[in-house]
Amino acid sequence: MPSSDSDDFESADEGHGSVDKKERKKRLSSSNYSDNTVESDQESKKSAGAIQKKIEEPKKKEEKQTDGWDDFDIDDNEAELKKDSQTNAANTAPSKKVENKPSDNQKANVIKKQSEAKNPIESTQDTGWDDFDDWGDDDTSKNDPSSKPQPTQQRQPEPDIKAVTDRLAEASNKSSGWGWGWGVDSLLSTATAGISTITNQVSQGISTVLETGIGAPDPEELARRAKDNESKPQPNRSEEPQKTENDPNAGDAFQLGSLLSGVTKFVESTGTKVIAGGLDTLETIGKKTMEVLQDGDPGLAKKRAMLGLDAGDKPVLSQVLREAKSRADEEDRVKEEKREAKEVHYENLFDDFEGLVHLEALEMLSRQVSMRIEERLRSAEPDKRQDIKETLQQVAELCEMPEEEDEEEESEDISKTEAFHERLLAATRDIGVKLQFQSLVKQYTEALDWLSADSATEKTVYKRAVSSLAQATALAVEVYHKTAEMLLVKPRRSTADESDALTQMTVVLTKHISELATLFTEKLNTLETENKDQVNIYITNIFLEAGNSSTYIQNAFQLALPILQIGAV
Amino acid sequence: MAYAYLFKYIIIGDTGVGKSCLLLQFTDKRFQPVHDLTIGVEFGARMITIDGKQIKLQIWDTAGQEAFRSITRSYYRGAAGALLVYDITRRDTFNHLTTWLEDARQHSNSNMVIMLIGNKSDLESRREVKKEEGEAFAREHGLVFMETSAKTAANVEEAFINTAKEIYEKIQEGVFDINNEANGIKIGPQHSTAAGAGGAGGAGAGGAAGGGCC
Repeated sequence: MPSSDSDDFESADEGHGSVDKKERKKRLSSSNYSDNTVESDQESKKSAGAIQKKIEEPKKKEEKQTDGWDDFDIDDNEAELKKDSQTNAANTAPSKKVENKPSDNQKANVIKKQSEAKNPIESTQDTGWDDFDDWGDDDTSKNDPSSKPQPTQQRQPEPDIKAVTDRLAEASNKSSGWGWGWGVDSLLSTATAGISTITNQVSQGISTVLETGIGAPDPEELARRAKDNESKPQPNRSEEPQKTENDPNAGDAFQLGSLLSGVTKFVESTGTKVIAGGLDTLETIGKKTMEVLQDGDPGLAKKRAMLGLDAGDKPVLSQVLREAKSRADEEDRVKEEKREAKEVHYENLFDDFEGLVHLEALEMLSRQVSMRIEERLRSAEPDKRQDIKETLQQVAELCEMPEEEDEEEESEDISKTEAFHERLLAATRDIGVKLQFQSLVKQYTEALDWLSADSATEKTVYKRAVSSLAQATALAVEVYHKTAEMLLVKPRRSTADESDALTQMTVVLTKHISELATLFTEKLNTLETENKDQVNIYITNIFLEAGNSSTYIQNAFQLALPILQIGAV
Repeated sequence: MAYAYLFKYIIIGDTGVGKSCLLLQFTDKRFQPVHDLTIGVEFGARMITIDGKQIKLQIWDTAGQEAFRSITRSYYRGAAGALLVYDITRRDTFNHLTTWLEDARQHSNSNMVIMLIGNKSDLESRREVKKEEGEAFAREHGLVFMETSAKTAANVEEAFINTAKEIYEKIQEGVFDINNEANGIKIGPQHSTAAGAGGAGGAGAGGAAGGGCC
């Protein structure tokens, strides 16, 4: 343990996460005071707005009459600022009401150490604002009452301080239930927050480290007196408040006016526990507070009303749920749109029909074979190397797609699907491996059947069109993949025939794709529709996807090229 | 279908041990006693759920015939899991395991989870390979072992799903880099924000996996 007072604080800071952040903030609040007066003003305007002002005014009046009220008001303010400071570290000024003493406050911090040892009970005499001057002193003086004013004694209360601050930290760490706390009953949570504030104050008053004593003479005074009376129950005390601090709302729930109901709740529920714990100090504070609160406001009607208004600013369960529901609805809507988009999303459909995986496998084969060709080129004699290159080039030329030529002679006596199958077989007659086109023919048949049926809307025709194009393309890619595999295991290669066959097959397949696209767009055009624009968009998309399909098919063909080439070298 | 991950599996092993039947049982829950010889590779896919996550198993069912060996080897790369299958009624299929294993280890990534499967466990009367032998081989080579029956579906689900669980655990342990698709794992389209990213990612996957060959 460091021996100096300031070191103590530092080490405490390092060791105890968020509590000590609070502590630090509080200390900051004294030193940064002048800056923060403005900010705090703004902040409180933002957060509490007019309500707060309204609340403040009566309080200011009361302040002159009763100290107790003033205390709480200030404390509330400060608490609120604490909350603000979670987002703005620098923004941790104490209450506005003390804003006329910034420099004093800074000095107080500096002087603190000197005076603290000498002046154990100095601040207990003070009331109201003057207290603020002695703020720093206050803490240390409170540390001392049960012992002699020596610097070394600073450390004596520390375990308690730590214990309390630790627990405070835990409490504020647990404050995740904040929103729900409000939701369940905003009043209650304000109340518990209020308790936290009180207990916080009291425990601080007892253990006397924290600077919450600002202008809060009464409870501290009481606490100190109590402590003077009974020096033993100190640990006990730090234990008891901790329990109340465990409320999930502790730490961030401080709000203006929270103390009001905080006290009521305190008296109603927690009070019993606390009193049972022997904390008559708290009881005294509670009673006193009730008197103060009820002064001119029997039944706390006004203050409750203020609270009610105050609660309007905060998330309420129903509001939270409404927002959550609308968010969920929005997400559902987006999901549904995405699902719909996906349903007619060409690439997804192509993947679903295993086109992608066949393309991937074909690509793997193609690369592997390309490597083998390169290997052969490298290992070949220099004079042979040129021959190989020429051969490779020749094969590539064989596989160039012919220009659009002869219009197909439509044979009237066979069906479209049969004609399609015939063309495929004719194209691949000399390839030397047995290719299967049944799946392509079957798919074509199904598409034609579907088109000849009635009861189609623009949307369903469009969906079916994209799906059919994706499926036909996937099946075509599969044919290339299978052909490549079979060619690779074919004992005797005939590269020229193979190349010609695959080129012809590619021609047939790309024509098939445009035939499919045409069939579906013709179907769309026959539909009676009010939404001509939408139909035009559909038609454009269908032709776009048909182009996409042709690209896939020609890519697959190009991937097969090395497989054709390796048969020749 | 949206999935969190896609795992690529390969099924390897001698011809006739029941690789395609295992796949059919797993994907279609049916058994087809007479099966065409597989040419090169065939594909199957099924969604499973592990740890609450949808995982698409994309299964590459390779041809067992010797003639296709050079082709099927090029498909090993980029597999996250492998089912190495032998036939408990044919000792030779068990004897070839070492060759298959060497092949798999040589042509796939080192993190690939390999499940050794003794298939046709329904044909107890014709058993030539004791279960203990399979277990010993698996232990010796660091494989997971199971006896299955594609006919009765015994342990078929378990074989595929336990392999996926192992892969999933490796992902959790950080053994697999899920961003490297050469590992046989792809992140599902639901993880991407853009609607069209599913297809685009898939299209890119071909290139990435192929790139692994070089």
